[in-house]
Amino acid sequence: MKLTWPRNPGEGAWMIPAAYAGLCLFSLATLWSVTEGIHGPYEIMDPGVPKSIFWRQVVWVAIGWGVLLTVRNLPLPWVEQGTPFFYLFCVLLLAVVLVAAPVVQGARRWFDLGPMRLQPSEPAKIAVILVLARLLAAFHTQQKRLLPVGMSLLLAGLPLLLVLREPDLGTSLVFAAIWIVTVFWFGLSWVLLLSLASPLLSAVFSFYAETVAGSPWPWGIYLVVLLVALTRARFRLHVSLALMAANIVTGLIMTFFWEGLKIYQQERILTFFDPARDQLGSGYQAIQSKVAIGSGGLFGTSYLQGTQKGLAFLPERHTDFIFSVVGEELGFIGAMLLVGLYLVIILRGLQIALEARRPFSSLLAIGVVTYFTFHVVVNICITTGLLPVTGLPLPVMSYGGSNMLTSAILLGLLTNVGSRSFET
Amino acid sequence: MPQTRAVQARILRVAILLVFGVIAGNLLVMQVVKHEQYESQSLENRQLRTRIQAPRGRILDRDGRLLADNVYIADITVPNRCLGQAGPDSTLEKLLTWLRLPRYETLDRLAGEQSAGRPRLTLVANAAMPQIAVIEERRRELPGVKVETRSRRRYLDGPLFGHVIGYVGETLPNEIGKGDDPDGYKPGDWIGRGGLEAVLEEHLRGQAGYTLQEVNAVGRVVGRREVELRPVRPGRDVVLTLSKALQDSLGAAMGDNIGCAVALSLPSGEVLAAVSIPCYDPNMFTSGISTKDWQALQSDPGHPFLNRLIQATYPPGSPYKIVTSLTALQLGIAAPGTAYAPCGGAYQLGNRSFRCWKRGGHGALDHTGALVHSCDVFYYQLGLRLSIDQLAVTARLLGLGATTGSPFKGESSGNVPDKAWYDRKFGARGWSRGVMLNNAIGQGELLVTPLQMAVLTGRVATGLADLRPTFVRDPAPASSPGLRALPIDAAHLDWVRRTMRQVVDAGTGTRARVQSIEVAGKTGTSENPHGEDHAWFVCFAPAILPEVAVVVILENGGHGGAVAAPVAGRWLSAYFTQQESPEVVAP
Repeated sequence: MKLTWPRNPGEGAWMIPAAYAGLCLFSLATLWSVTEGIHGPYEIMDPGVPKSIFWRQVVWVAIGWGVLLTVRNLPLPWVEQGTPFFYLFCVLLLAVVLVAAPVVQGARRWFDLGPMRLQPSEPAKIAVILVLARLLAAFHTQQKRLLPVGMSLLLAGLPLLLVLREPDLGTSLVFAAIWIVTVFWFGLSWVLLLSLASPLLSAVFSFYAETVAGSPWPWGIYLVVLLVALTRARFRLHVSLALMAANIVTGLIMTFFWEGLKIYQQERILTFFDPARDQLGSGYQAIQSKVAIGSGGLFGTSYLQGTQKGLAFLPERHTDFIFSVVGEELGFIGAMLLVGLYLVIILRGLQIALEARRPFSSLLAIGVVTYFTFHVVVNICITTGLLPVTGLPLPVMSYGGSNMLTSAILLGLLTNVGSRSFET
Repeated sequence: MPQTRAVQARILRVAILLVFGVIAGNLLVMQVVKHEQYESQSLENRQLRTRIQAPRGRILDRDGRLLADNVYIADITVPNRCLGQAGPDSTLEKLLTWLRLPRYETLDRLAGEQSAGRPRLTLVANAAMPQIAVIEERRRELPGVKVETRSRRRYLDGPLFGHVIGYVGETLPNEIGKGDDPDGYKPGDWIGRGGLEAVLEEHLRGQAGYTLQEVNAVGRVVGRREVELRPVRPGRDVVLTLSKALQDSLGAAMGDNIGCAVALSLPSGEVLAAVSIPCYDPNMFTSGISTKDWQALQSDPGHPFLNRLIQATYPPGSPYKIVTSLTALQLGIAAPGTAYAPCGGAYQLGNRSFRCWKRGGHGALDHTGALVHSCDVFYYQLGLRLSIDQLAVTARLLGLGATTGSPFKGESSGNVPDKAWYDRKFGARGWSRGVMLNNAIGQGELLVTPLQMAVLTGRVATGLADLRPTFVRDPAPASSPGLRALPIDAAHLDWVRRTMRQVVDAGTGTRARVQSIEVAGKTGTSENPHGEDHAWFVCFAPAILPEVAVVVILENGGHGGAVAAPVAGRWLSAYFTQQESPEVVAP
């Protein structure tokens, strides 16, 4: 596949703002439909989601444009200088939220600030992207790579653990994704990365063998494949042995951990992985979302006519499950159009990272690309039932100030880098 | 470094496009390939198909009085899964407290229902208004709890019509989905279990209807329209030939005696009243009979489930002497004035002595006198002059030895033995002409049902060969019997009728007399090897141009003239009183 991307400085500068504008319009149109309820022969009084949600999003779109344009024109050195303070502030907020925030549905995730909620994990995503870029940029000329990688792991790991403690598994995985792609971009070999990640894979296979397959064969096959891969990788013997041992140990720990759980705990985890187990619990969302998207067909039920949305079968239809509404009302064509807009941002972002002159800019750009890729892919996979349900918004589209501001700031940074790719 | 960057970028780009390719492919499968499957699921999601039970047809008596109808009751039901949820805050615990239900009893019953595989369990059947009010007030705290109305069968006269009307019960698991209705029986439907409820099931049942309503995620109806997919077709009413007033009278005349009584309208053969005692109360089955009550009914020594009218067989006893006399007259073997050796209380055949019911003997009697006073010794001698096959032919002409064609299931045909039967039973040489002595007086191997005896009485009274009992006016019987006369000389029948009149006037049946009406009857005391004799009385009235035939049998009652005849007498006087001043019935 040969994609032609703009080569001349400034040639593609319009692409990201245009895609952002497209997403803003998409979001407003979808939220208008969601807050309208249902039209046609079956009219109901109460759409479930109030109209005010739409008007608030109008305000957030306006603010988002202001933020994007402002950040786009900030001098990048200022940003680089301010990074440590911003990072420390965010980590502090994450720590405070664990103590002071109200418990909602078993988790402490945000502060109530009157008109809006402050969810510290959102600015923390920006902070981690920035702090990793700044740290790794400082080491980019040195041959020793393990020291900066180790330090970056600490810097990303601290907010990750704090968020995991809230608990918010989905968001903590965003930090992990940002770290992995950034150190990869920094130059860490992907063979090494996969080796480091292999104990985690071992745990996943062991769990799969224990719960879904009911026999240890999947885990066994994974270990055999790993053994073959290790012999081909030409590591030193003791490294290979240590990796193998780590894989076996994590796999066994997974098994014992699972056996030690109470039935209802196991049930909760299984529902997480297989929503159909509990049709009226969290699995309900996943099933209704799939039904909505599937019933959309090629062209959709047409705008404002989605019945799953209108009859309130779709939960969270203005936030995390907004993609299902697009899928139902605009069908495959509309969904692909939306996915295309994201792809423009992501691929153009990759190009910006590639062309950036300074290491900080390049690493910053790749972090932003990772943020968008991870959020979009995971969110769509959740709504289409490929991944278990965990709260993760669709950037720009999902209703909410935090989501809009984070996206706007990150896109501002990305276009900022892009606009300077010809500078030295 | 720019070199490696380019490679890294290529890896990332390929990975990104791969992942988005998977997303696009998955969307394509969901929205285009499997679109129809999801669309139908979406329809199912929001459309509530409601089945509306058809009201079962009512059952009315011949005058349009209500005998069985439906009442609408409210049940409080909970979802099946409620039972598994423990804890003081569980829905079930709240309900037990608020509705003040006996805890263990209720839980036991629910567990039983759950094991029967019902989707919803009936917590309170036929809930009272205050209980329903509790549910409605606290609806928010009771997710899944419903107040469901449904129809229940009501039998207005309880056990009085029990064996005739029968009863309904809820469908059993093996009956679900069966029936002529395109979608068969559903759990919670009623199905006729006995009597006419079972026989006329398809007529009474009707056809359930369906409606479609738009509902939202929590099951609340939101659409303005309710689409009728199929209209309800109510079950059709059934009109019996029985009369509620006459049935009441017959029940009262019988009292608590175990036995059976039936009255036929003549010459139509319509059954005016029919009771078999004891009888269950059919209302017990419509509210879910308890195991205890069921076992009590099953082990009742009076066998309340036995419909004696058609299922119990007895030796006919002395009324059978009518058959013997008619055979002899028709064959010219004996005339009304024929006399044999006088009755000394017993008859000697070979080395066996056959007793007359009157120990002291009747003395000299002719044929007429022998029937009036039911002299056994005369009939022994007459029987010896007849063949068993000759008797059997007459018995069958008069309706014995075969089912009467009543609509009920399990009707017995009784037994009219003939030569072939004895040969089969005892071997060709295993029996002697001595059996004629027993057969002539209606004992021995003869067995009849009370309804067969009513047919016999009706045929003798009217001379009609095809008189049959009918229980239902609407739906009308498939064919109406013709007016073919019995192949017996009218003079002989007339002699029997006149003699039966003398039985009531001056013979053994005087206690069946009714003021100002001539009654013709015949008493009977059939020997019962297991205990006291059964008391028979068969009669018709008025003796000239008869309107009704009545048959009464009281098990272990003793002498027919003493106990069974008064029952018939009481009913007949009620019948003729009502005929003179019929009650005015609102249509």
